[in-house]
Amino acid sequence: MSDVAQASQGPDDPLAIAEYTPGGQTALDDSERWPSLTPAGARRLEALRTHPFAPPWVHAAGDRLSADAARRVRTPLPLDGWLDRHLDVARRLPAYRRRAAELVALEDFPLIGRDDLVDDVSAFVPLDADLEQAVHGSSSGSTGRALLIPDDIEDTARTFHLLVTLAAEQGVEWTPNPERMALAHVVHQRQAFTYASVISSFEQATMARLNLIDEQWPDRLTRARFLEAQNPQAISGSPTSLAELLDPSLVEVLHPLVIFSGAMGLSGALRADLVASYGCPVIDIYGLHETRPIASSADGGPFVILDRRVHVEIVDDRGRPVSPGERGEIVVTAGENPLLPLVRYRTCDFGMLVEVDGRLAIAELEGREATTFLANDGSRVACVDLTQQLQAAGAHGWSVKQDATGGVEAVIARGDAGRVSAALEALLGRPVTVERRESVADLGEGKPRRYVSLA
Amino acid sequence: MQRWLARNESIDAVWAGMVPGPSADAVASRIGAVPKTFLDDRVRVVALAGDVLESDRGRGQESTDVVAVLDEVTATGSSVARRGAAIALWLWAGDEELGALAPPLAREHAARALAAMAFRLASVVDPAEWVSDAERRDEAARTFLFWSGQLPAGEDRDTASSLLTMRDSLQRNGALAAAAEEHAHRLEVTRKLQEARAREAAARYTHE
Repeated sequence: MSDVAQASQGPDDPLAIAEYTPGGQTALDDSERWPSLTPAGARRLEALRTHPFAPPWVHAAGDRLSADAARRVRTPLPLDGWLDRHLDVARRLPAYRRRAAELVALEDFPLIGRDDLVDDVSAFVPLDADLEQAVHGSSSGSTGRALLIPDDIEDTARTFHLLVTLAAEQGVEWTPNPERMALAHVVHQRQAFTYASVISSFEQATMARLNLIDEQWPDRLTRARFLEAQNPQAISGSPTSLAELLDPSLVEVLHPLVIFSGAMGLSGALRADLVASYGCPVIDIYGLHETRPIASSADGGPFVILDRRVHVEIVDDRGRPVSPGERGEIVVTAGENPLLPLVRYRTCDFGMLVEVDGRLAIAELEGREATTFLANDGSRVACVDLTQQLQAAGAHGWSVKQDATGGVEAVIARGDAGRVSAALEALLGRPVTVERRESVADLGEGKPRRYVSLA
Repeated sequence: MQRWLARNESIDAVWAGMVPGPSADAVASRIGAVPKTFLDDRVRVVALAGDVLESDRGRGQESTDVVAVLDEVTATGSSVARRGAAIALWLWAGDEELGALAPPLAREHAARALAAMAFRLASVVDPAEWVSDAERRDEAARTFLFWSGQLPAGEDRDTASSLLTMRDSLQRNGALAAAAEEHAHRLEVTRKLQEARAREAAARYTHE
């Protein structure tokens, strides 16, 4: 395919995972990826794809928006009475409809969790859902087994405009500029889907998902020159990938208006370094793929709950709501994705509800550890690389610990221990002891700390 | 019923391959004439099929599928499933004893029709009622014709569809209908998410 080049990963790579084969997951042509693509948008896209310093694109992805849909997603969904309507929809879901009469108020609904969705996600998809709007959403998540959920095309696209709104709240005027890439979504992991795209609802400005890891580029200068040429207005990523932005070659050439962090906890030190390097707001967004964005913090303080279809509760270890100001597990009712209307979804993250300037916020948010492991060559390996290999080997859950001397021990629930051992040893360049158990419960009670590195 | 749902039969596929068949009345009338020997629980349906569908031997996959369905019927140990299958076999056997219907009953989808009668219809209506009750007899005739891939004579698709839906005991049994609806929904969601078009996914903007 013209838009998907060959990646560096060779056929004999012991860590290669089939789905990351370049072009292996593409199925559409550009007119389907961007049904309203204009000649100007197409030119920008082609220039991005074929830029002489561009990395190999492993994948291709568009927003799939018609012109009408592109107009719709610029506006947030209305909030008046959403929760009542949401619960009405939920009562008709296969998961609840046999006992709908008992589910009068929100608190009557049982708590659900990731395993419920892994076991049968269709029970949480409305029977009359428009599945033509569905695309494949997968999440590595926090308990092990990969989760497959239906993403809604318009909901996914609307997330971009949420970012624009959050930037505006920080005084950033972020408007389409045909001379600049609108958003660089960066990752830093051994294998990742990367793609060049345009945002139909943002005057078809470009965006890209980029892997900053060295192996994706001939050298760091090429990486810097590519990013300099794109001059992204905004950059999003996880703390692992955002830390890479502190590389002097990038600090020198990048001028983002705003930076967004997600997936894992952003440390105060990294936030401060990013602010010092780029002089722009750094907004940490808390959310799960299943629930979509929940809350954000622009100053390192409590995460203010977003002004969208999301309702947050805190419960104790027996699942009962706690008093205001008490710590507990965060439970979310999420109504932005019409294909997966969740009620009282356990996040396995912990915090307490507080008020910030009259808005509800989550303080002391915990549960999104950003762990890296020390490889034998002195480099740090992000835990997402381990997650990919553990899932590919069929593990349902795991705990991987590295001691201060660098020794690594893994305990996995189910899966192929031999394959896990080989993959982790190849990743880290050091021996890894793997112990296999029969079930996730055998990993211990409560939320397992999946990754710990003392090295 | 679970055995029927596990077959993942597609109604759309049946409609797409529909050919003309005899009238629902003619088939219902033949159901009413089922010999007592067919309904005797001591008679093995696999052996019965060997006699009834003997001329179909050598038809390869369909014969194998018929035997597989009847082995499943036997394995359930269920009298209603056994009698449901036996009545379906009688409909074909009747061609020899009473003369062929016009057009003749199809045998290309014999395994599917047998499964529909033994696992779908028999699990909600006892086959004894197919014989004794006129409405249930009509339902059995229409069920058999539909899953055999035949449109009842004198009816167009809309008429046949609405008459079958009106008679459908599964739809009239709330709990079973809900289970069937959810099973179909599960298959549809899974199918949709596995489609290559869906697997390409949509561009995402943040790391959640």
